Amino acid sequence: MNQELLSVQGLTSGYGTAAVLRNISLGVSKGEIVVLLGKNGMGKSTLLKTIMGFVSPFSGTVSLDGDDVTNIRPHMMARSGVAHTPQEHTLFPDLTVEENLRLGVASNRLFHERLPSLETLFPRMLERLKQRAGTLSGGEQKMLLMSRGLIAQPKLMLIDEVSEGLQPAMVDRMGEVLIRARDELGIAVLLVEQNLDFALSVANRFMVLKLGEIVEQGNVDDVASTQTLSNHLAV
Amino acid sequence: MEALALDILTTAAILFVVSTGLMIILGVMKLINFAHGAFLTTGGYIAYLVGAAGLNPWLAVPAAAVLGFLAGLVIERTIIRPLYHRPLDAILATWGLGIVIGQVFALTFGRGVQFAPSPILGTIDVFGNEYSGYRLAMLAVAIVLAVALSALLSFTRFGLNARAVIANEPLARGLGIDSANVRSITFGLGAGLACAAGALITPLLSVDPNMGLPWLVNSFMLVMISGVSFPSLLVASLLLGGSQVLVSTYISPILGGMTIVVLAALILRLKPKGFSRA
Repeated sequence: MNQELLSVQGLTSGYGTAAVLRNISLGVSKGEIVVLLGKNGMGKSTLLKTIMGFVSPFSGTVSLDGDDVTNIRPHMMARSGVAHTPQEHTLFPDLTVEENLRLGVASNRLFHERLPSLETLFPRMLERLKQRAGTLSGGEQKMLLMSRGLIAQPKLMLIDEVSEGLQPAMVDRMGEVLIRARDELGIAVLLVEQNLDFALSVANRFMVLKLGEIVEQGNVDDVASTQTLSNHLAV
Repeated sequence: MEALALDILTTAAILFVVSTGLMIILGVMKLINFAHGAFLTTGGYIAYLVGAAGLNPWLAVPAAAVLGFLAGLVIERTIIRPLYHRPLDAILATWGLGIVIGQVFALTFGRGVQFAPSPILGTIDVFGNEYSGYRLAMLAVAIVLAVALSALLSFTRFGLNARAVIANEPLARGLGIDSANVRSITFGLGAGLACAAGALITPLLSVDPNMGLPWLVNSFMLVMISGVSFPSLLVASLLLGGSQVLVSTYISPILGGMTIVVLAALILRLKPKGFSRA
């Protein structure tokens, strides 16, 4: 868990001339889950979009596996082994579950090879392959979202608020899947979350983003009390 | 009555064949390609040249398709792609391109009409009616084209990627789809289809530098009311093409020529989103 897969150094980014993120530096190692905590509007999603190449940084660098991927185009980032699950407009509602999953891999051959791996993670997805994604329940849509990310067998997953709107049992299930992805597949995860209990139950490390800057970070095991972190998330 | 029914069916088939290239570009690229008429004209001149060279007239269709596809790739890369973020300018660019292509043909072949030989001569007996074999062949071409394009979009990786780009381009890009490549191939495909359609319809008519213009107008109206849906385009071609035949037969050929435009305007007035999303 020592080799840094994702490295962000001195990243300042935003929209137009307005900086949303200021001088962000962070790293995520292979087989590690890092959670990014923060209230709405603090720049969490913008950070994921900047790493992914959807937003061009004003300054700073993004490296993946030692390669500079700053300003790389999003499709190239995805092909480099990064699976991005955004918070909104995450699925193709008019396409079937199967088609949504197929879009997660580069070829039909890979799809058929990897589909059985979802059997133990989200068996319900295999039962719904021919169903339109837009007709799935909210929880099932999140399962599909995670399934699409995992079937890509990425090095790194950038996940934006996967627990939002889910029932507790489903949140627990998502947590189990993330931990399995990390421990069994060695996938690194940068997880944006506001659900503190969920975040701390799956993550190795945490960072708190406030007004575009990282104001606190540390190992989850070292968190003696969640009160301070809760204060960062309080509205 | 059987002859009238065949006229309706074959007219609808021709309209469908002529409109598919425009639809596929609009669907994936959100671009109204006003050079579509010029691409049809290009196909027409290819049919003329193939005939003039004494080659098998059927050769004109694949030749036009390939040449149109390659030209489309070049045009997309050099003219359309730099204007992706200026959609109005992109539309104007295709309009200008259409004018340039027309002028090049006028300079090369003159403004007079040229004729291309028909790959199928004579008539075929259909329910006791002698009917043009080539128009019947167009019916088969339209059916094959509809099936092939539906299969392309439904069962191939390119089709899946194209549908993803149509639905949500940023999300598609985030999944590793090179949307610029999808757009490029789509424009090539649309141009190839248009050129092939031009080669197919020329034996029924003639070719001159402005040949594609009326077809562009009719295609545009059909695509506007069809949305991005091949089944809808089939229905629209049948409905509006059929109306054109009926008006031409029973009222006036001049009014018949206006039927598609007038009906399409009426349909869009009543159903602004057209058929496919009604």
